[in-house]
Amino acid sequence: MAKVLVIEDDAETAAEIAACLTMGGFEAEQCFDGAEGLKAALAEPYDAITLDRMLPGADGLEVVKALREAGCDVPVLMVSALNEVDDRVTGLRAGGDDYLVKPFAPTELIARLEVILRRSRRPNSAELVIRVGNLSLDLVTREARRGGRRIELLPMEFKLLEFMMRNAGQILSRRLIFEAVWEYYFDPGTNLIDVHVGRLRRKIDVAGAAPLFRTERGVGYLLNAD
Amino acid sequence: MQIRALLRTTTFRLSALYGLIFALGLVALLGLVYLRSAVYLTRRVDGILATEAAALVRSPPSEVEQRIDEALALDGQKNNVFALFTPVGAPLTGNLEALPPTLKPDGAPVEIGPTPSFPAPARLVARRLSSGEVLVVGRDVNQLQEMRGIIASALLWSGSAVILVGLACGVAFSITPLRRLQTLQEACGEIADGDLTRRLPTSEHHDELDMFAATVNYTMGEVERLMGEVQGATETIAHDLRTPLTRARAQLHRLQQAPSVSPAEIARVTAELDTVLERFRALMRLSELEVRERHAGFAPTDLTRLLADVADLYQPLAEANGVNFQVEGAAPAIVEADAKLLFEAVSNLVDNAIKFAGENGRVALRLGRERPQIIVEDDGPGIPEAEKTAVLQRFYRSRRDRMVPGSGLGLSIAAAIVRLHRFELVLSDAQPGLRAVIDCRPASVRY
Repeated sequence: MAKVLVIEDDAETAAEIAACLTMGGFEAEQCFDGAEGLKAALAEPYDAITLDRMLPGADGLEVVKALREAGCDVPVLMVSALNEVDDRVTGLRAGGDDYLVKPFAPTELIARLEVILRRSRRPNSAELVIRVGNLSLDLVTREARRGGRRIELLPMEFKLLEFMMRNAGQILSRRLIFEAVWEYYFDPGTNLIDVHVGRLRRKIDVAGAAPLFRTERGVGYLLNAD
Repeated sequence: MQIRALLRTTTFRLSALYGLIFALGLVALLGLVYLRSAVYLTRRVDGILATEAAALVRSPPSEVEQRIDEALALDGQKNNVFALFTPVGAPLTGNLEALPPTLKPDGAPVEIGPTPSFPAPARLVARRLSSGEVLVVGRDVNQLQEMRGIIASALLWSGSAVILVGLACGVAFSITPLRRLQTLQEACGEIADGDLTRRLPTSEHHDELDMFAATVNYTMGEVERLMGEVQGATETIAHDLRTPLTRARAQLHRLQQAPSVSPAEIARVTAELDTVLERFRALMRLSELEVRERHAGFAPTDLTRLLADVADLYQPLAEANGVNFQVEGAAPAIVEADAKLLFEAVSNLVDNAIKFAGENGRVALRLGRERPQIIVEDDGPGIPEAEKTAVLQRFYRSRRDRMVPGSGLGLSIAAAIVRLHRFELVLSDAQPGLRAVIDCRPASVRY
């Protein structure tokens, strides 16, 4: 079970995050100020940290900087009530792995944590082919195959499929998909992502094959891991 | 009115300074006049003395005494000195008792004060005669000294008069601007107390105070407009957030009473709350864009490329909604812009267009042929003329936006991004539908 340190000064929010992590299958520990959080993070091997941007003791940015300077590369999800784009950039530059803006849906938090956890576990660029079930994606020839069938993909579809396959088994929110694949940080609107995922899904899940794509109502999408 | 305040005014200081400069000029002028006249008069006296002395020196030595006596007798006004001294300095004749010690025979002229036999200041020259006797010729220089006195007193009086008049003018000139300044201060005080409709009074002079007052009044106009907008926005925001919140609350209340709760019902409440979050995000985004101005990462951006990217993103959505989406590129058009933000603006326009074009509708995204303009057209219901400016304002949701899903702030966000670039967003009637044009020329070229 992955262990997550929650550094958050508001006790109620911290409890809420912890509860939602427990539900998502994580073990959560809480810490209520920056200096203490930093100490805890350096003392024990956590799998991931959720870090509030504004903390008493030490600012979230300082905590993540200090962590990185100490050589600790635990994935950090920064959580903030501050405005988005500029603060996201500063947060990521300081060493955060992802940036989530309050208020957020619990599933969004879990999804983002899973994504950064997976990214940190994955050995760098060793993989040349990603496989999920009988679906394979060759990163070198940029070819997708389901069973023996070759699937033609547009460039964006390729990026989308790669992201979903890398995070197979994980519910991915529309916004998370939009940010990770298209790299834009605005609200993509109601069903823009649905349509893109839908297109890809029709290419992958043809009649007769066991469906790989699953829609989580009101939340996002998931690519079946098994 | 306080004297100290008066003395500190620019007008007063300038008047005083001018008075001082004028007084100095006067001193210089009169001094020059005095100097030139004194030199002239002295030279003239010296010339006369030299001529008279030469005439006496040339006459036979035996006649000198007699000629001196004749000359003195002829000098009715008594303004000449003629005297003869023995080689050792004892007086022989004339109207001078003794040879002044500073007076050297055949030397430079000297001036002496009044003496008993010549009761006026005199300028003297001495010549040694061939007999060894010393001849002294002199002339009354009282006039010269009187002129000095006249000029000195003229300087004193006129100088003081100029300075006094200067000060008086300074005070007089300062009173009016100071009074106006006080009325301006009073007006500012009222504004600070919360009366945003108050404006600074201006006069007919169009002077610097009026210029300043006009600037302040313009600023106050902007502040009043912004405050109005903020108030309007607050009301809109309150309305837009309260509606889904109220619905969610009602649904939760109902679920609380219900014996069993179905996941579908919970999903409905969640959807309401998601709407709130979505609007909240859009509002945050808007306020972020408002203050972003200085951070924007501007770089040369190819509009054709940007349009192609937007098209890639929205073509599937258009197809899914049964909308005919056409994209026309043109020759590459490079503008200075923040590509990500401009992409967001165009995306919002296209998203809106697809939403309102509806099934079997038509949306066109193209570049202006002659100018760097991004044009988004749909054949939907359009926006009523009366609402066209309002929808571009901060936080404004038009009536039609309330009919469709989404934050309804897409146009406001697009407008904010366009404003941040100092481009122009113009909405017009596409007959039917809405035509939105982002004019990407710099403001200096547009007007």
